[in-house]
Amino acid sequence: MGVFPRRRLAAVALVAATALLTTAGCGGDEPAEGGPVTLTVDVFGQMGYQELYQEYMAAHPDVKIVERGTGGNLDEYSPKLTQWLAAGKGAGDVVAIEEGLLVEYKANPQNFVNLLDHGAAELKGNFLDWKWNQALTADGKQLIGLGTDVGGMAMCYRSDLFAKAGLPTQRDEVSKLWPTWQDYVATGEKFKAANTGAAFLDSATNIFNTIVLQTAGNAQGYHYYDTANNLVVDSNPAVRQAWDTTMDILDSGLSGKYGSWSEEWVSAFKQAKFATIACPAWMTGVIEGNAGPAAKGKWDIAQVPGNGGNWGGSFLAVPKQSKHQAEAIELAKFLTSAKGQIGAFKAKGPLPSNPQALDDPAIVDSKNAYFSDAPVGKIFAAGAKSLKPVYMGPKNQAVRTEVENAVRTVDLGQRSPEQAWTDAVNNAKKAAAK
Amino acid sequence: MAVQLDALPPVTPTERSTARPPRRYRLSRLDDKYSPYLYIAPFFLLFGVFGAYPLAYTFWVSLHDWDLLAAEHPFVGGENYTRLLADPDFWHSVVNTLGIFVISTVPQLFAALWLASLLNRRLRARTTWRMAVLVPNVTSTAAVAIVFGVLFGRQFGMINWLLDLVGVDAIDWKSNRFASWVAISAMVDWRWTGYNALIFLAAMQAIPRDLYESAAIDGASRARQFWKITVPLLKPTIIFAVIVSTIGGLQLFTEPRMFHSGTNPIRGGPLRESQTMTMYMFENAFAPHYNFGYGSAVAWLLFALIAIVAAINVVILRRLGGTDGPTRVRRPRKERTR
Amino acid sequence: MNKLWSAGRLTYAALAVSALLSVFPIYWMFVVASRSSDAMGQIPPPVTPGGNLGANIARLFDNTDAYFLTGLINSAIVAVTVTVSVVFFSTLAGFAFAKLRLRGRNGLLLVIIATMMIPTQLGVIPLYLLMTKLNWNDRLPAVIVPALVTGFGVFMMRQYASQAVSTELIEAARMDGCGTARIYWNVVLPALRPAAAVLGLLTFMTTWNDFLWPYAVLNDPENPTVQLSLRALSDGYYQDMSQVFTGTAIATLPLLLVFVLFGRQIIGGIMEGAVKA
Repeated sequence: MGVFPRRRLAAVALVAATALLTTAGCGGDEPAEGGPVTLTVDVFGQMGYQELYQEYMAAHPDVKIVERGTGGNLDEYSPKLTQWLAAGKGAGDVVAIEEGLLVEYKANPQNFVNLLDHGAAELKGNFLDWKWNQALTADGKQLIGLGTDVGGMAMCYRSDLFAKAGLPTQRDEVSKLWPTWQDYVATGEKFKAANTGAAFLDSATNIFNTIVLQTAGNAQGYHYYDTANNLVVDSNPAVRQAWDTTMDILDSGLSGKYGSWSEEWVSAFKQAKFATIACPAWMTGVIEGNAGPAAKGKWDIAQVPGNGGNWGGSFLAVPKQSKHQAEAIELAKFLTSAKGQIGAFKAKGPLPSNPQALDDPAIVDSKNAYFSDAPVGKIFAAGAKSLKPVYMGPKNQAVRTEVENAVRTVDLGQRSPEQAWTDAVNNAKKAAAK
Repeated sequence: MAVQLDALPPVTPTERSTARPPRRYRLSRLDDKYSPYLYIAPFFLLFGVFGAYPLAYTFWVSLHDWDLLAAEHPFVGGENYTRLLADPDFWHSVVNTLGIFVISTVPQLFAALWLASLLNRRLRARTTWRMAVLVPNVTSTAAVAIVFGVLFGRQFGMINWLLDLVGVDAIDWKSNRFASWVAISAMVDWRWTGYNALIFLAAMQAIPRDLYESAAIDGASRARQFWKITVPLLKPTIIFAVIVSTIGGLQLFTEPRMFHSGTNPIRGGPLRESQTMTMYMFENAFAPHYNFGYGSAVAWLLFALIAIVAAINVVILRRLGGTDGPTRVRRPRKERTR
Repeated sequence: MNKLWSAGRLTYAALAVSALLSVFPIYWMFVVASRSSDAMGQIPPPVTPGGNLGANIARLFDNTDAYFLTGLINSAIVAVTVTVSVVFFSTLAGFAFAKLRLRGRNGLLLVIIATMMIPTQLGVIPLYLLMTKLNWNDRLPAVIVPALVTGFGVFMMRQYASQAVSTELIEAARMDGCGTARIYWNVVLPALRPAAAVLGLLTFMTTWNDFLWPYAVLNDPENPTVQLSLRALSDGYYQDMSQVFTGTAIATLPLLLVFVLFGRQIIGGIMEGAVKA
């Protein structure tokens, strides 16, 4: 599971040439009936499907699979998908949809194949209930997508920095350090006092998002929007509670202020400039990619403070514009099957949403060599079935952006917590109205 | 931008009066009459489809509630404009754009003038020096913006490291409003100072040297000669450079967009510290809002702003058109470019 | 002799500093491109090249997610097509404006000058809608066709043709029975060659660098221009900065090459354009 799949130059050239020919020959044109079918899969981040494609193609010689967007980030991917859907062409045959954006896409269900019309109903038992329900339209008549992964939560930490600060390094002991977020802050203060030259955590936004999803999941099950799609940023106590907890963390000076996903953040990974990072299952792949082989065995995984929570997770959908809907549906079913989800987990770490997969020894007993052989199966899969999901409303992504930006302004010392809270509420309202 | 529209009379075919013009001649008459239009047709045709039509259509779109994803685009008249004029984020981006424009253009022009006066001396390896100052202009904007983004990093950037060596605290170049303007201006200036210097140099070389000789005889110092002879004579060129910088500077997009990395770089920082008007247009027209109507309104106001600033330039141009320097401003000749 | 033109040591020192500032970011791009990704974030920052350039280049082209090679090829296709077209149409129209009888010449020329003032941004939204209608989204024609002619090119060629093309020669050719097309090809084009070359070089560089419009209209990650590949590299969920810098270096290399080979002409063109405009 190398970060950058090694292929020969010749293969790249071939792919490039194919891409060019496709371009020249009018995008979207496919060979006539009966010929081999090319299925395009649009993804973001690391879905971990490469080996599964090989297997699928071996079993279906008439199907060729091309994945696009691998490693890209969601902020870039989702607008593209939106534009393709609006244009009525350009989208892949199978497309990944992140849960935070699912509601936006569900608003235009006519863009997608109704999987219930294609025998998906019998698959219901293959998914955690809430994961299945998330992809159903409000009237329950259309299923937009099949669940891929869920984002069970943990806390990743650098054991070498913990050792340097005189803190325990064993994952079980580390987990015991922080049953609650207050304990997490207390541990951070100890870490800070040891002057390791590193910050306790990367930045404010990831931790805030973790806390808000956890708090909301444990309370009413929604955060920025209530289940009737009213914007409740200012009135939902779960949001305010998460905000205040985050402000405590910032107030203690624990943040390294490395803006998530920026090049400074990447450099901070490389230079071991922070000791912990909130860690949904899919984040393990990100850490490994950024920190690089040099940090192998220096990272480890402990329990997340507080109680569980879910961040992220995706679905596979088939756009109506696909010219090979039947084949695409088959592929989506395969990739979201227990087998597909186990394969993806082993490759890049996304945690299955399939209960059978979660019970599978391949998951339960799995360890991650990069993270000091941490039993990732136990850490993530154990809580997965009891995950409490959070409802995401129509402009969830835009609202989340505003709230996170407000958190960041406090992190960077540009705003006082109270000013920033006012910003968050006002800007969220504005974004929701746009 | 002095444009002489009647530089040369068009070529007129010699009149030949024959009772029956030969066939070849008739063909040639047709050729004379119509081929000029044929030759300019591609420009007007393509511009019509991909320039003029979009211009008008942008205005049409701006009068609608035009959600990219919605099937219906109801007509709303001027609503997008009234909302926009009351939108603090929009005005914020206007201020950013103008701020970056001013703090990039002013030092740039002075630096370019100074550089041009250096290059105007009797230098060894003249072409090499000229190439060295021009090379930033031929680099890829997106690539250089990535490089500058790293150089201006808060914690790991080389600039802050150098500042630290001289005892200056780390500056947050990406989320301090003024600092981000400076950083982006540095990028713009890096690219354009050498280019403008060469343009000024060309104009300087067209100034008759005897003007300086007589000034020198009168005992005028080097600086005095520069400010009293060179600069006044360069005014048309300077104004030309200002207009070009205006059009380019007010449209600024690639540099600030690529300067930011991480979450939603299109905002230009958590508090929109360096979000330019074009970035704001993009944010509204594309992700995350897909509001083409609103985005189109931003585009038109951007156009209006450019027109206003260009008009101000023209007014200044007019005013400077009279006798202002020691001699009347003349169009420089072309031979003196080497 | 006026000392205004004498170049002392101070002059050279000042020029050397300017040149250093100009060249350093480009140099540093290659420095990081030649080091391993662990060099990112090092304090003090590295300023000398390392030995990893070859490995980084290999990794960059091995990275199937960035479609860097496709980006390079696409950019080459776009830039060459646009350059040839702009030079051809501009010389043609410039010739017509400068030397042929054309009713409404001045008005049309003013229109062309006016088009140079229109910001590209103004067209992004409707052009996007237009490309959707034409089914050109995500495909190279979307970035090629709107760029096939420029007002700047026509204007520049017109200015140059007024002075550089001899009216007598055209007359003589006409006496010999040459049609306008032959005159363009045999008389005008050769006379315009130096300016046309400069226009071509400038067009090539501008097109190669174009970012905003491709960013809006080319969404297929498999079919980027090289600038979009760079964006994809630098905006990923995790980044390998030495790879990003290798990308920026390679994307800049063709431009530097053009510059080193034709720098004298480019400088001449810019300076002449300055006096003419």
